[in-house]
Amino acid sequence: MNRNSFFAFASPSILIMLALMVLPLLMAIFLSFQYLTFRNITAPEFVGWRNFSEILGDARFWRSFNFTALYIAIVVPSWVVIGFIIALFLDQVSGFARGLYLSIFLLPFIIVPIIGTIMFKQLWEPSGLLTWIYQELTGTRFRVNETSVKTLIILFGIWYVTPFTIVVYFAGLQTLPPEMIEAASIDGASRLQKIRHIVIPYVSSLTVFILLFSIMDSYRVFDSVFVLSELNPQFKADTVMTYTFLTAMQVQRLGKANAMAILTVIGIMVVLVPFLYLMYKEQIAER
Amino acid sequence: MDRVTSRGGRLFIHAVLLLFAIYSLVPFFWTTLQSFKTFKDAFSRVPIFIFQPTWKNYQEVWIRSLPEAGSTVGYFILLAALALTCLLLFARHIPIRSSWLAIGCLLGYGLLLWAIPQLVYMQKYYKYFINTIIVTVFTILISISIGCLAGYALARYAGMAAVVILIAALAFRALPRLAFVLPYFWIGSLLNLLDTHILVIVALVAVNQPFTIWMLRSFFMEVPKDLEESAMVDGANRLTSFIHVIVPVAWPGIISTALFTLLLAYNEFLLVRVLTQTNWTLPVAISRYTGAEDPAQLTLAAAASVSATIPIIVVILFFQKHLVRGLAAGAVKG
Repeated sequence: MNRNSFFAFASPSILIMLALMVLPLLMAIFLSFQYLTFRNITAPEFVGWRNFSEILGDARFWRSFNFTALYIAIVVPSWVVIGFIIALFLDQVSGFARGLYLSIFLLPFIIVPIIGTIMFKQLWEPSGLLTWIYQELTGTRFRVNETSVKTLIILFGIWYVTPFTIVVYFAGLQTLPPEMIEAASIDGASRLQKIRHIVIPYVSSLTVFILLFSIMDSYRVFDSVFVLSELNPQFKADTVMTYTFLTAMQVQRLGKANAMAILTVIGIMVVLVPFLYLMYKEQIAER
Repeated sequence: MDRVTSRGGRLFIHAVLLLFAIYSLVPFFWTTLQSFKTFKDAFSRVPIFIFQPTWKNYQEVWIRSLPEAGSTVGYFILLAALALTCLLLFARHIPIRSSWLAIGCLLGYGLLLWAIPQLVYMQKYYKYFINTIIVTVFTILISISIGCLAGYALARYAGMAAVVILIAALAFRALPRLAFVLPYFWIGSLLNLLDTHILVIVALVAVNQPFTIWMLRSFFMEVPKDLEESAMVDGANRLTSFIHVIVPVAWPGIISTALFTLLLAYNEFLLVRVLTQTNWTLPVAISRYTGAEDPAQLTLAAAASVSATIPIIVVILFFQKHLVRGLAAGAVKG
């Protein structure tokens, strides 16, 4: 394919991305230096770095940042570990049972995240099933406070993305060459040794892929936190994303919210650039 | 891995998988149960598992007032929907060209969706449902058609421009929605486009485009190059050979991508929440049930959630293979 026909084919998509991703990003940078509310939406007012300095001195921003970091630190390893273990188990069954289990396991990942959150929340209502079980087991009432809301957000985060890692690891396990396992069996390796020395190294590239995407995705988590933090009227369970949203739509400080979004973009890019460089080299090598 | 063969081991494996299945299903199970309970049963401190089920919550979510010939109209609508579904399912056994039949059935569904509010006085929720369908369908159509062209071009062109676009798309896929949505909100309010379907559809197409072209590219890479070359030797130009030769071969992959686009559009909350004030789609509409302090909303929220999940479950049942293929393709090929 020559250059001209490449651009002829790709131009609609390129134009859309230029107009609706590159341009908005530049616009967000522009807006982050403005004082902009719903009232002066047609006439933004230039304020220099004030939005940024305000954010860096904002205790609530740092609280939301800390919670986001905690969320990532707990949720991402859980996805990897639980996903890998369940994929190993799933690999042991076949036929109809495998398809059935896979469908059921996929369900939390496929349904609308908002609806999943609402369903999860129903379990913890005062008349909910898990509230009752919690009370029966511990003898104390389940209370809605900062810690419990944060715990619920994290538990839900684990519940609804694990299916993704299960499927990725499961697909990876299907490509594992049986010779490798046979050779290890002949050498008398136990099952755990095989997993430790053959399977885990074999799926390590998948693990890198999962880690990268899950760190970025969990940084961007919004829907579930937005619904569950409503349980807590003091707004202490914000992540960076929900705090940005509230700053934009409730406090109506659009400029400040844009500055926060830009800071998030910078943070993600720092993590992403080495990976992008690797991808770039891979693509250059491929052609 | 080699199989565990001992009896105890097999039992252990199934026990673990069963437990995990229960863990995955508990919220669905409980919410479905709640949605069929009366107000009193739903608020009992000790969960009730055996009760007189009621359709009242569903009725309240969807229907504002029944017409006088209520049940007759209801049966008529159900029968029509059932007939259309059967026709669609058994299309391949009927000696008419099945694509015409499928198009006819889809038109029939459209007509039915249009006819329901003429016969029954529906709640706002029905309007949000229709909004969701409009937004989803148009997002899929636009996104897939321009994505196919770009994905094919990216799979075949080896120049530097292709690499740059792919890497840029990957970077954009990783960025938070809010970084784009807030500028859209600003432009939308300047141009008076807020609360329209057009803005939501265009925004959805744009934010999903990076994902779409990467996925479609990986499927077009699998199509052998000789295929279109032989077509082009026979005198077809690139576009006609693409449409008549490449697209049919890559069709399963395109379906997989369309399925993911469907899920992304159907699931989108943040973008719709920011860009609309009344023309919501289902996720935003449902989130309104939970914010309210009124405890009576609990069973309604349950019924609304279950009704919005059913279409997705139907999609999974029909397209599970495509779904797993898509997830695996996205992952294994990076």
